[in-house]
Amino acid sequence: MPDTLRLIVFAALLFSGLVIQLTAVLGVNRFRYAMNRIHAAGMGDTLGLLLVALAAVVYTGFDAVTLKILLVVAFLWLTSPVCSHLIGRLIRETDDDFSKEAKEWKR
Amino acid sequence: MSETEHAKRSPASGSSTETGSGKKRSSAFSRLMDWLENGDEALEQEMEATLSEEDAAPDHSSAVSGEGDERPEHAGKGAETPYNIPYSNVNTPKYGKIIPNSPINKPDNADNRTRSVDFYGKWWYRWASVIICLLVIGLLMAVVTMMPQFGGADTLVDSEVSAYYVEHTLKDTGAVNIVTGIILDYRGFDTLGESHVLFIAVCAVLLMLSIKGEKNEKERLHSAAMEQLFEPKNDVILQSAARILTPIVFVFGLYIVFNGHLSPGGGFSGGAVLGAGLILYQNAFGYEKIERFFTHRTFRAVSVVCLLSYSLMKGYHFFTGANHLENGISAGQPGSIFSAGLLLPLNIVVGGVVACTMYALYTMFRRGEF
Repeated sequence: MPDTLRLIVFAALLFSGLVIQLTAVLGVNRFRYAMNRIHAAGMGDTLGLLLVALAAVVYTGFDAVTLKILLVVAFLWLTSPVCSHLIGRLIRETDDDFSKEAKEWKR
Repeated sequence: MSETEHAKRSPASGSSTETGSGKKRSSAFSRLMDWLENGDEALEQEMEATLSEEDAAPDHSSAVSGEGDERPEHAGKGAETPYNIPYSNVNTPKYGKIIPNSPINKPDNADNRTRSVDFYGKWWYRWASVIICLLVIGLLMAVVTMMPQFGGADTLVDSEVSAYYVEHTLKDTGAVNIVTGIILDYRGFDTLGESHVLFIAVCAVLLMLSIKGEKNEKERLHSAAMEQLFEPKNDVILQSAARILTPIVFVFGLYIVFNGHLSPGGGFSGGAVLGAGLILYQNAFGYEKIERFFTHRTFRAVSVVCLLSYSLMKGYHFFTGANHLENGISAGQPGSIFSAGLLLPLNIVVGGVVACTMYALYTMFRRGEF
C-alpha cells in the first residue's frame, strides 16, 4: 500500500510539473511581446522544475541522490531568475516601443 | 549617498530612466539600425551631443535631476535627428507577406519595426510542415525500438573493441576512468589535434576581429558609446548571484580537471566549466576586475605552455612507439590523485587550453580586443 501511495504522489507531482512546463512552452510560443514570453519561460524554469525534481525524489526514495537533485534545484533557482532579470533589462534598454507594448498588454 | 548611486549607474540607463517622461528617447537598437542604414553621420552628431553635454555637466546627478539648462536643447536635437525614419526594407519583406488586419501594424505606429509577418506563404505549407515533422518523429521512434536492448545478454557480442578496452585500459594507460584513458591515450592524436584546433580558432578570430591597433579617436568613442548602451553595468542582482556562484563554479571545474582520470570528467569538460566561470565573473564585474588576474598575457602564457607540454608528452609517446614519457607515477588507483601516469598532467594542460580558449573567444567577439 505505501508503494501505491508513493506511485500516486509521484504521478501527481510529475504530471503537474509537466503541465506547468507545457504552459511555459505554450506561453513562449503564443505570447507576442518579449516580456510576456520571459514571464512564461521563468515559470517553467522554477516551479515546473521543482515539481519534476520532487517527483524524481519521491520515485527514487530518500538517499544521497536526493541531495544532488536538491542541489540542481537550488542552482537553477539561483541562476534562472537572474537570467530572466538580465533579459528583461536588455529588452527594456533596446526596445523602442516598450511603453506602448506595456500599455497594449494592460488593456 | 545619492551621488555615488548616480555614479554607479551607467549614463545611458540613468538618463533613460530619469528623463523618460520628458522626451522621446530613441533606444539603442534604433540607433544601431540607423547607423547601419545612414552611415556614421547621425551617430556622430548624437555622440557629440552626448559628450558635450557630459562635458558641460560633469556632475551627473544635477543633470539627471532634470533642472539643468541644457536639457531642452538636447531634447530639441533628439527630435531633429532622423531616428523615426520608416524602415523601408522591413515594410517589404522578402519572404512571406504582411498580415493586413493585425493589430500590431495600426497606422499610428506605421514605422513600427515589429510587424507580424505571415511566414507560411501557401496555405498547405503549415500542414506539410506538421506532416513532415510527424513522419520524422515516427521514423526516429521506429529506429529507437529496433536498436539492441541496453545491457542485454546478446548485445554487441561481435565487438571485441569494448572488451579490449575494459580489459587493458588500466594496464596500458593507468586510467581508472576508461573514457579518459581512451580519449587521452588510445585516441591521443584526435585529442591533440582538437586542442590545436581550438588554439588555431582563437588565432583566426584574433586576426579577423582585432581592432586594437588601428583604432582612431572616432572609432574609440563609438565603441565606448556602444559598450555603454549594450552592457548592463553594475547589476546588483547579477553581482550577488555571481558572488555566490563563481567560487563554486571554479572549485567544481578544478575538481573535474584534477579528478578526471578517476571519475567522470576530464580536461575538456572541466576546462569548459572553468571558462564559463571566467565568463560569468567578467559579465558581473567587468573587464577591470578580471584583468587583475586574467589578461591577454595570461592567456598567451597558459595556452603556449599547455600546448607545448602537451605536444612534448604526446609527441614522445607517438615517436617512440607508445612508450610514455618517464614520469615515475604509478598506475591508477581509485581515490589517489597522483596515480595514473601522465593522465593527470595531460588533463591539466587540456583544461587550461579549453578554459583560455572559451574566455578568449567570448571576449574577442564581445569587444574585439583582449
